[in-house]
Amino acid sequence: MRSLLLAGILALLWGCSGSPDKNEASSSQSSEPQTVAVGDVNLRLPSGVPAEYALLDIGLVIFDPGIPKDPASLSKLGIFPEIRKAEARYLPYLLRRVLVDTQAWGAVRVLPKPDATAELQLTGKILVSDGSRLSVHIRANDASGRVWLDRAYTDVARTQDYPVALGGDPYIDLYRKISNDLLDFREKLSQDELARIRDVSLLQYAASLSPDAFAGFVTPDEEGNLVVRRLPAEDDPMLGRVQRIKNQEYLFIDNADEQYQELYDRMTPTYNLWRQNGRELAIYKEEYEERVANKEREGRRGTFAAMQQTYNAYSRSKEHDQDLDELAQGFNNEVAPTVMEVEGKVFRLNGSLESQYNEWRAILRSIFALETGLPPVE
Amino acid sequence: MMITPKKHPLSLFCLLACIFLSSLSHGQKLQNRNGKTVDFSGHWEMDYADSDNIQARLDTMVRELQRRAARQSNGNMNRSNSSMSMGSGSGYNSGPSVIGLAQMADMITQSQLLEVTQSDHEIKVKREQTFALSCEFYGDYFQTVETPFGNESCGWDSHQMLFRILLPEGVSIQHRFTLGPSGERLNVATTVVSDRVSYPFTLNRVYNRFEPGKSGISCEVTLTRGKVCTTEGSK
Repeated sequence: MRSLLLAGILALLWGCSGSPDKNEASSSQSSEPQTVAVGDVNLRLPSGVPAEYALLDIGLVIFDPGIPKDPASLSKLGIFPEIRKAEARYLPYLLRRVLVDTQAWGAVRVLPKPDATAELQLTGKILVSDGSRLSVHIRANDASGRVWLDRAYTDVARTQDYPVALGGDPYIDLYRKISNDLLDFREKLSQDELARIRDVSLLQYAASLSPDAFAGFVTPDEEGNLVVRRLPAEDDPMLGRVQRIKNQEYLFIDNADEQYQELYDRMTPTYNLWRQNGRELAIYKEEYEERVANKEREGRRGTFAAMQQTYNAYSRSKEHDQDLDELAQGFNNEVAPTVMEVEGKVFRLNGSLESQYNEWRAILRSIFALETGLPPVE
Repeated sequence: MMITPKKHPLSLFCLLACIFLSSLSHGQKLQNRNGKTVDFSGHWEMDYADSDNIQARLDTMVRELQRRAARQSNGNMNRSNSSMSMGSGSGYNSGPSVIGLAQMADMITQSQLLEVTQSDHEIKVKREQTFALSCEFYGDYFQTVETPFGNESCGWDSHQMLFRILLPEGVSIQHRFTLGPSGERLNVATTVVSDRVSYPFTLNRVYNRFEPGKSGISCEVTLTRGKVCTTEGSK
């Protein structure tokens, strides 16, 4: 106990010894180093219509909300967990829209959980998210395991970003930058490399359905990336079945995707208002702090006037914080039921998808066993 | 938000912080002894009859300061002692400083109504016409928060909930919440300390539990639609 208190005293004294920069403080939601803001970004489109082999399907996994495990640290970090959970579903959907707008990719889907067989999979973690700044860590890797992106992206909102225009977003440049980086990376890959990604994806998927039948088609190289060692015949009936099952699976995923779109549509007005009000409060507080710091002292130290001035400054600052809390509560009251509803629907879809999977797998294995004369795999 | 003060004179502030924190390590337990928290939740209204009279408290304080001054001057007959004088000047224990302390305590404890919400790890005391006191308690330590305008700490001291605020310029405030045995009475002892007065000023405010009138309407705040109210039956 004493050592804890001693640590507390030292921490307080350290705090007294200097004051961190305001930017540092405002972006203290994550321990990850802050990146430079992306600035103004134009969405790059592919030159010409992309070839079929380049139209990789993208799986966008809902983001890690980046909520610290220690609940005691949430208020200090200015993180509102319910809002973060909603953002974890909202932000990937927004990124999906930008990727779709480029018409540079195949199907772009928001996935409730990672899918190792996706042709190109994007995962993200929210580092900082408030009305003034958005910072997310994005990792993109293709089915072979090749890493396309693995970095943090940051964007800052400006006054003219609010109120948010219909269909707009204060951090749209961040999403455009991610999209541009993905496109840049893809354009560096050869036709053969892109075609191999699709092969690996399909064969991995096939192996997940029938490990015995598709074992050895894809194995890791020295660097751990998956490479195709051999290909089944183009008219292989098993492969045709796998493709059909995969398409069937996409039907389910597209249903889940619709739920995320519903969340996006219903959450957008509230979320934009939350960010706008949050930013205004933060700016007001910052300016207020500056005004108070520069204000002349009233009365002699120890008099009522002097003490009242000190107390009122503290009191106003607390009221600002509590306004933000109430704003968050207003957001939760409005959006939390939608998040729960959507998650419930997605969960039910996953449940039925899983049973469908199992059924398909059993059928596939039976067919395979009948065709090959091998004993069916348990 | 962990932001340390920028432009305030901090030396005395930090000294007070040290004294305050080191005092914790000596006498006080930081958690409810039974490992259980006392439930303060509910609506409370001030009972003026049982609360302290500010004038009486001020008189007591002045008498105490005068007694101390007299004792000290008797012990130091040959030494002039302007610091303990109860004059109108600007020195230690001056009249304006002592009265200022009482005025501060009165101003801080004006809220007639309190609304306390409490969970396993958090308590929030909404006070009429001023900011809410809130505390998160995880484990047996005081939660401390630094803001540019003052440092806060809070936690359990046995069955009492303590909120402490260390303000710049040598002022500190403590609210000690104690629930009566029946659970129907709440005592909030507010102590204001100034480095210009040698004696703290404490004001007890007593609150009685009450049930707010039922209007049949239940409201919640939303961002896009403002306050949304529904009749309770339809919920």
